Amino acid sequence: MIKVINVNVRNIYLGMLTVILASFMLVACSTSSSNEISEKNEREKDSLVLAIGSEPTDGFDPTTGWGRYGSPLFQSTLLTLDRHFNVQYDLAVAYEVSPDGLDWTVQIRDDVKFSDGESLTIDDVIFTFETAKNSHSVVDLHNLKKMEKLDSYTVKFTLEKPQSTFLYILTMLGIVPEHAYSEKYNENPIGSGPYKLVQWDKGQQLIVEENPYYYGKKSPFKKLTFLFLSEYSAFLAAKAGQVDIVAVPPHLAKEDISGMKLLALDSVDNRGIMLPFVKPTFDSVKGVEIGHEVTSDVAIRKALNVFINREQLVEDVLEGFGTPAFSVADKLPWWNEETVFEDGNLEEAEKILIDGGWSKNADGIFEKDGVEASFTLVYPANDQTRQSLAIAFKQMVKQIGIDVKTEGKSRSEIEEIMHTTPVLMGWGSHDPIEMYHLYHSEYRGQGYSNANYYENVKVDQYMEQAITATTQEEANQFWKKAQWDGETGFSALGDAPWVWLVNLQHVYFINENLNIGEQKIQPHGHGWPITEFISDWTWEE
Amino acid sequence: MKSTFQMDSQNTIHRKRLLLKIIGLLFFFFIFVLSGFLIGEEQIEANLSEKNLSPSLVHLFGTDWLGRDMFMRTLKGLNLSFQVGLLASSISAVLALTLSLLASKSRLLDYIVTILIDLFLSIPHLVALILIAFVLGGGIKGIVVGIALTHWPTLTRVLRAEIMQIKSAEYVQLSKKLGKSRMWIVKHHFIPHLIPQLFVGFVLLFPHAILHESAITFLGFGLSPEQPAIGIILSESMKYLSTGMWWLVLFPGISLIAMVAIFDALGNNLRKFINRE
Repeated sequence: MIKVINVNVRNIYLGMLTVILASFMLVACSTSSSNEISEKNEREKDSLVLAIGSEPTDGFDPTTGWGRYGSPLFQSTLLTLDRHFNVQYDLAVAYEVSPDGLDWTVQIRDDVKFSDGESLTIDDVIFTFETAKNSHSVVDLHNLKKMEKLDSYTVKFTLEKPQSTFLYILTMLGIVPEHAYSEKYNENPIGSGPYKLVQWDKGQQLIVEENPYYYGKKSPFKKLTFLFLSEYSAFLAAKAGQVDIVAVPPHLAKEDISGMKLLALDSVDNRGIMLPFVKPTFDSVKGVEIGHEVTSDVAIRKALNVFINREQLVEDVLEGFGTPAFSVADKLPWWNEETVFEDGNLEEAEKILIDGGWSKNADGIFEKDGVEASFTLVYPANDQTRQSLAIAFKQMVKQIGIDVKTEGKSRSEIEEIMHTTPVLMGWGSHDPIEMYHLYHSEYRGQGYSNANYYENVKVDQYMEQAITATTQEEANQFWKKAQWDGETGFSALGDAPWVWLVNLQHVYFINENLNIGEQKIQPHGHGWPITEFISDWTWEE
Repeated sequence: MKSTFQMDSQNTIHRKRLLLKIIGLLFFFFIFVLSGFLIGEEQIEANLSEKNLSPSLVHLFGTDWLGRDMFMRTLKGLNLSFQVGLLASSISAVLALTLSLLASKSRLLDYIVTILIDLFLSIPHLVALILIAFVLGGGIKGIVVGIALTHWPTLTRVLRAEIMQIKSAEYVQLSKKLGKSRMWIVKHHFIPHLIPQLFVGFVLLFPHAILHESAITFLGFGLSPEQPAIGIILSESMKYLSTGMWWLVLFPGISLIAMVAIFDALGNNLRKFINRE
């Protein structure tokens, strides 16, 4: 007996040794193994390896914000926005808004199951919204007064105040199962989306498989592996032929990867400069210094907007992988096209400054009442694109006689000074409420929202009307008016509290044989949004 | 007689050679470091029409992704490193001197100083540095204080041993018996004796300080990224290695090593020169 056990133990050691040796061999001839992997992919064509970064540190719980950029992948939402931002049904089969905009009645499908086989009922929907409301996370549901279960597939949401943007919450909030929800849900999501989680090695990889119970159109790819690599390792992995989709920063986009094609997706992932709107003073309510002497002058803000050559910034800094930005929501349905103007205009900008009472001093810098047109532009130190933009901006505006210094700071340092100093920020959401947060006086000094203390009564009014509108068309009309109504607005034509610079393009290399079809204008955040239309992806050799 | 004479002349030749070496090294050092003072903001400005150029006669070290001349940036960076190093090592040296003198005062103080030395030596420099720089909110201040506070223990140890030796010397005992005050003894016996040690120690601290400054800015705990510090240059350049822009890393890296090597050689030669006396 003892002898047998001994032999077994020896066998185990032998086995372990073999495994270790084999793994050495694998490392040693990694090129050949990668070829094997890609050959396998071509043969089966039902699995993909993606290195698109953006590992969600908070996990995959929609009630705390997962899935608000792009699709939640594991869960599904009541409604969705199609490629042209028209509302489509997903879990819902019908929805209705009462004329006063307070009651939203939503009826859902009766044939939906979670990936564990349990049915999805209206209780799960109510549970999801309740959990999200109580989580006090980025999912803003404070306006949701109560929910009523009308029958097992119908719910009535009642709002405190009419809110047209409630619709966008319905398109972003993935439904979680009441029976399988716990503290640990974010690491072990169960949902009704196209995929289910198989394995998540934090910081390394995420493996997902097709959800057999998914009710929507099935993707031809049954298994996806997301690798969480740094930008550069991801790029090298792509060069070695180990991944099918890789996200790359603009400066790597000029490279060639054999067997892969370049894909540049337009986005509203914008970058712009927040300019403090008020004169230097002290906000005694919040207890912070606010305002900036120079940027509180509308002539300066307008001259900067008119003078900056956005096309050139795109060329110089983004290597051409971007588009000029004129607002926070370029090309979205609530964007006012009239706010686009011809930029890079020196004469016009100088005229604005001179009309505004500024004149050039001996150093060639504009001056007014002894104050030089000069400010410090702060950017997050760890973001190289923003650094480059800041430096390019500084050099550009020097030509007109405005003196800008640039400084990189950490996020916490930026939070301390952002009410008194221009900061290079990035926004871009598929929900127009973002404009409300950025430009409504109610949000003055609320964290990063309206950090410049912008205030315009007319703009506030328009945005409130947009919020209380009962149809999307009506709401969008008011959103547009808030930007520019012909006389005033928060765009560069009006008060110009921001200088919007560029919209990034999200750049990917994808396998030549992979076709991912047309994409939506991508929101802020590189990575997950690309998976939104995965059911339409095809593999063609 | 003859042999002593020979030894003497050999000695002088040796010393002359050492002196020559030191002067040569100093010369290099001046070119290297002080030229940075002559470089203004304009020469290291971004120039987007000249980005990603490989090394040429116009741009000896090439240009980076913003079209900044890497040669100028490297020199400026070395200059900055030098200033940080100078300040930090001076503070360190002063700290070391003060603590070693304190240690000579009483048994208890000696005990405390020894414990402090052991304590600081037991933490890896870089870890302590990161902690201190982080607490002070980064920037030049954080780095200087961090380096100053982490580099004094070795020098303190040397000075302390030195003082213990002098303390038991007869002439010091004699001064004591003659009723000279402690301050008088420190001023007339200890300090003159410690100065050479202190100076050599200070110069030898320098390379450490510079390397640690680069290391901490490389890790991103130090300065704003547009500042031309060597560590920042290197960490930025790492990102461009995979696109084949090797010159961004190679030349600044070599320059840093060269500067550190010059300092190290300078320190070692100085020590030899002084110890001969």
